[in-house]
Amino acid sequence: MTLLPWKRADRESGTQTSPFEEQALPLLSSLYNIAFWLTRSSPDAEDLVQETMLKALRGFSSFETGTNFKAWIFRILRNTYLTSRSGLAARRTVALEDELRETGESGPAQYPEAAIDHQTPEINLIQMGDRVALQAAMENLPAPLLEVILLCDVEEMKYKEIATVLNIPIGTVMSRIARARANIRRALTRVFEPSTEIEL
Amino acid sequence: MTEHLSYLNLNSLVDGELSADELAMANVHLSQCPSCTSDALRHSLLKSAMGKAGQRYLPASDFQARLLRRLREDHSHQAVSQADHVRPSVLRSPFYGWAAAVALLLVCIGAVLVQHVGSRRANASAQYAALATEACDQHIAALAENSPPDVISSDRHTVKPWFQGKLPFSFNLPDNLPAGTTLDGANLTYIHGRPTAQLLYSIGKHRVSVYLQQRSDDISASKLSTNRSGFHVISFNTGDISGIAVSDVEPARLADLVSIIEHAQN
Repeated sequence: MTLLPWKRADRESGTQTSPFEEQALPLLSSLYNIAFWLTRSSPDAEDLVQETMLKALRGFSSFETGTNFKAWIFRILRNTYLTSRSGLAARRTVALEDELRETGESGPAQYPEAAIDHQTPEINLIQMGDRVALQAAMENLPAPLLEVILLCDVEEMKYKEIATVLNIPIGTVMSRIARARANIRRALTRVFEPSTEIEL
Repeated sequence: MTEHLSYLNLNSLVDGELSADELAMANVHLSQCPSCTSDALRHSLLKSAMGKAGQRYLPASDFQARLLRRLREDHSHQAVSQADHVRPSVLRSPFYGWAAAVALLLVCIGAVLVQHVGSRRANASAQYAALATEACDQHIAALAENSPPDVISSDRHTVKPWFQGKLPFSFNLPDNLPAGTTLDGANLTYIHGRPTAQLLYSIGKHRVSVYLQQRSDDISASKLSTNRSGFHVISFNTGDISGIAVSDVEPARLADLVSIIEHAQN
């Protein structure tokens, strides 16, 4: 029988996993990945994940069994990040709603049909597998747009779960996803055809 | 769905967030619209590419082991500190054990007393509300009845003796009533199943009922005033008598009459 990595580690060390560890350890890679995206540094990401895990362990008695553990622990990660040094710095430099207002992206109505580019230059880029360009575009997203797209596309969470993690309405989740993808497409277009820009 | 899919709908489509109806309509449209089909494909490709590109960072190989060690240390510290909270107070010396037991007993007794007082207050309040409602009902019935009172007289020396042998208690009627107030008569009635004297007064053209009954232990000693269905209700208690007055007259004039009757009992 093939054991999952965290089970194998336990068997090798001869210790038994607690119910908390049973649920939390399979999410370790995901938590670390998101933490790295948010903090942009390996030591900070490790600190963030460790603090998240400790908080979750101490609060595990208040977690209702049968509810969404993944959304619960990601919410702790996100709240821990917001109060961390790097999180506070990000919040000081990016006030999402203000920034979006400045760029005129205040909601779904900002995406008329004409805004959808049927030439699709980024399709070619994606098909070429240019992961570097895509990652660079994601790095340039404002933190609130990046976190929503990471939860949606990387963690494949439902809008309702994302709303729980980020403590925002589902409508805001939808509009942030739309904005994030529009930003990515615009960035990819710049890479592929520097002289051409989609008018959004 | 004949119009093109909106940007938000395309996102919801690739994220699997459309409801069954919305999805069916979107599929119908996509089967007829190459442009939207192309957009949906592009959205889907972008989502998939971002999902892959986003899985970028992996923890160091020893991170899980370090984290587990830290978690288990923290967990055992917590367990020890919780045990420390409980153990010393009970086990350090017999004196502390007894002191804790006595303190616990006192706290329990205090809690029971507080609960008892609270429950008595709640009971008294509920009883008073029921009494006021019943007194009001009887006053309204007395106003509506065509039949005259059991005893019709403005003379207190006629009204009071009429109750002899009818009530298990006696009461006094005041010599002097406030200006404009007259005694009209009285009824023998029952409130809360207990025999009660209903004294009928008039203040101007307003009728007043004053109910007097033997005081029971569970009635509060305080003087209470309230309104029921537009009537003013004032209750009072003397040594042996509980009284409750009901009328639609001004509260101040009703209070004057109540005060005089209350003093007459002393």
